[in-house]
Amino acid sequence: MSRPRFRLRGGGGAVNAPRGDGAIRMFHVSKSYLAGSFALRDVSIELAKGEFVFLTGPSGAGKTSLLKLIFGAERPSEGQIVVLGRNIARLGESAVPPLRRRIGVVFQDFKLLPRRTVEENVALALQVTGTPPRETRARVFAILKQLGLQHRRYHHPLSLSGGEQQRVAIARALVNEPEILLADEPTGNLDPELTLEIMDLIASAALRGTTVVVATHELEIVRRYGKRAVRLEGGQIVEDTQPSMPRS
Amino acid sequence: MTRTTYKWLLFVRTAIRGIASSPVTSGISVVTIGVTLVLVGAFALLLQNMEELLDQFGDDLRVTAYLESEVSGEALRGLEQRVREIPGVEDVEAVSQDEALERFRASVGSGSALLDGLDINPLPASLEISLSEDQRSAEGMEAVAKAIEGLAGVESLSSGRDWVEGYLRAVALVRGVGVGLGVILALATLLIVANTIRLGVFARRDELEILSLVGASRPFVQTPFLLEGLLQGAAGGALALALLFALFRLVLPGFEFGLELLVGSAPRFFSPGEALIVVVGGAGLGLFGSAAALSGDWRP
Ligand SMILES: Nc1ncnc2c1ncn2[C@@H]1O[C@H](COP(=O)(O)OP(=O)(O)OP(=O)(O)O)[C@@H](O)[C@H]1O
Ligand SMILES: [Mg+2]
Repeated sequence: MSRPRFRLRGGGGAVNAPRGDGAIRMFHVSKSYLAGSFALRDVSIELAKGEFVFLTGPSGAGKTSLLKLIFGAERPSEGQIVVLGRNIARLGESAVPPLRRRIGVVFQDFKLLPRRTVEENVALALQVTGTPPRETRARVFAILKQLGLQHRRYHHPLSLSGGEQQRVAIARALVNEPEILLADEPTGNLDPELTLEIMDLIASAALRGTTVVVATHELEIVRRYGKRAVRLEGGQIVEDTQPSMPRS
Repeated sequence: MTRTTYKWLLFVRTAIRGIASSPVTSGISVVTIGVTLVLVGAFALLLQNMEELLDQFGDDLRVTAYLESEVSGEALRGLEQRVREIPGVEDVEAVSQDEALERFRASVGSGSALLDGLDINPLPASLEISLSEDQRSAEGMEAVAKAIEGLAGVESLSSGRDWVEGYLRAVALVRGVGVGLGVILALATLLIVANTIRLGVFARRDELEILSLVGASRPFVQTPFLLEGLLQGAAGGALALALLFALFRLVLPGFEFGLELLVGSAPRFFSPGEALIVVVGGAGLGLFGSAAALSGDWRP
């Protein structure tokens, strides 16, 4: 079993997490949506480039809030966040989109466009960067094939099963080879078999050097992968478990 | 091709997709812009042709001062000199009693024999005063007439042909009504176009949110909507042009013949350049409308 231990303010430890090379660094970050209540409170954490981290904790612990801070969907109320060398707290409005293009996000509710085909949905992530249409098609096809969805590329999301939609969301997050992949409950409503399949897909991104953060409340998965796991409770980090027996 | 080119191709496609996905509201925008431009364009056409007519009659924009019978010789020349110094006066031509009679004879032709029986000349001497270019308006004429009226030796005034003054007033009225109506209609149109675009933004808010989440910049999200407004506006402009042309051809035969007799030239439609202005004006209205819809507190 993993040995729990606190890791505040990026104290080194993980073999693959040299200090200073953090893809994501948070310093005493707090987030308050409503005055008087905190979704996150004094969170300090460092994630290295290529690191795979689980974010766990009960509902309302602040997992989604933490992810939102990382890709600039929310601003911290206090503290500093440095993502890929950018200070989120001081990022100008026009600097947010370029940062987001370097971060793939798999949303809990997928956020697919129902009136666009699977191919068009995935292509969106490339179109915002002005990628040539031919290259876009090739890369979309490649990622869909990798996720076993190539035969679904002209279908609309609503005609797909939950697992297929989940994979389309992952395809969109991975298609432009992001430096960071954030996945919010990516296996939320999948059967155990599909859960493993999808987790393997996500884990494979980390092998290519992408920093991966997976928010989940399924401790079974966390145990199975034996990766670093950060546990949030009431908006605070209560546990930061280093990988004990890496599987891969 | 550059990335910018691909983006613009995408913007155009997205804009057309947006129009196609809400044909009714888009249609309302196009028709609204069209109606506005038909009305404004009709005034512009009317004004243009009225002003053309005015150019033809520019020579009639003069004031004739009839003089008292004792003014002649030296006095006449002195008076002529003084009128010449009035601001707004371009030229003065003195017509003596004899010359007036000569002219009358020439214009009446053989009937002038009647006049031979008269032993006095009933026609007064006069000064024919033409106005400088910038004074050729009802006000300018009025001002010059006032200055002349006060001079000793002037008996009465006639402001060229009376209709010119009335005509000038009519031109000014048409211009005023046209501009006023144009401004009001343009504002109303902007509101309607802005609303249409706002509806489109609202209908596609999920898409916009997702675009923003995958890293679309604000211009990337907004440009298709601006293009949508621009395209609707241009379509409205083209529609207006077609309607105006149809109207022009329909109404024209009614008075073309009379006008040609009077003016010597038929009324004309917009030149290709002016027609382009109508379409560009429509596009501008559409563009401004959507820009208004996208400004304010809306965030993609
Ligand atoms: N937009 C918001 N406005 C106000 N409060 C919010 C908002 N988003 C989150 N919160 C609050 O912040 C706290 C943390 O929410 P968050 O969504 O980050 O939790 P979570 O760990 O993702 O929960 P879950 O597992 O249910 O998804 C909760 O108390 C929630 O009510
Ligand atoms: Mg959540």
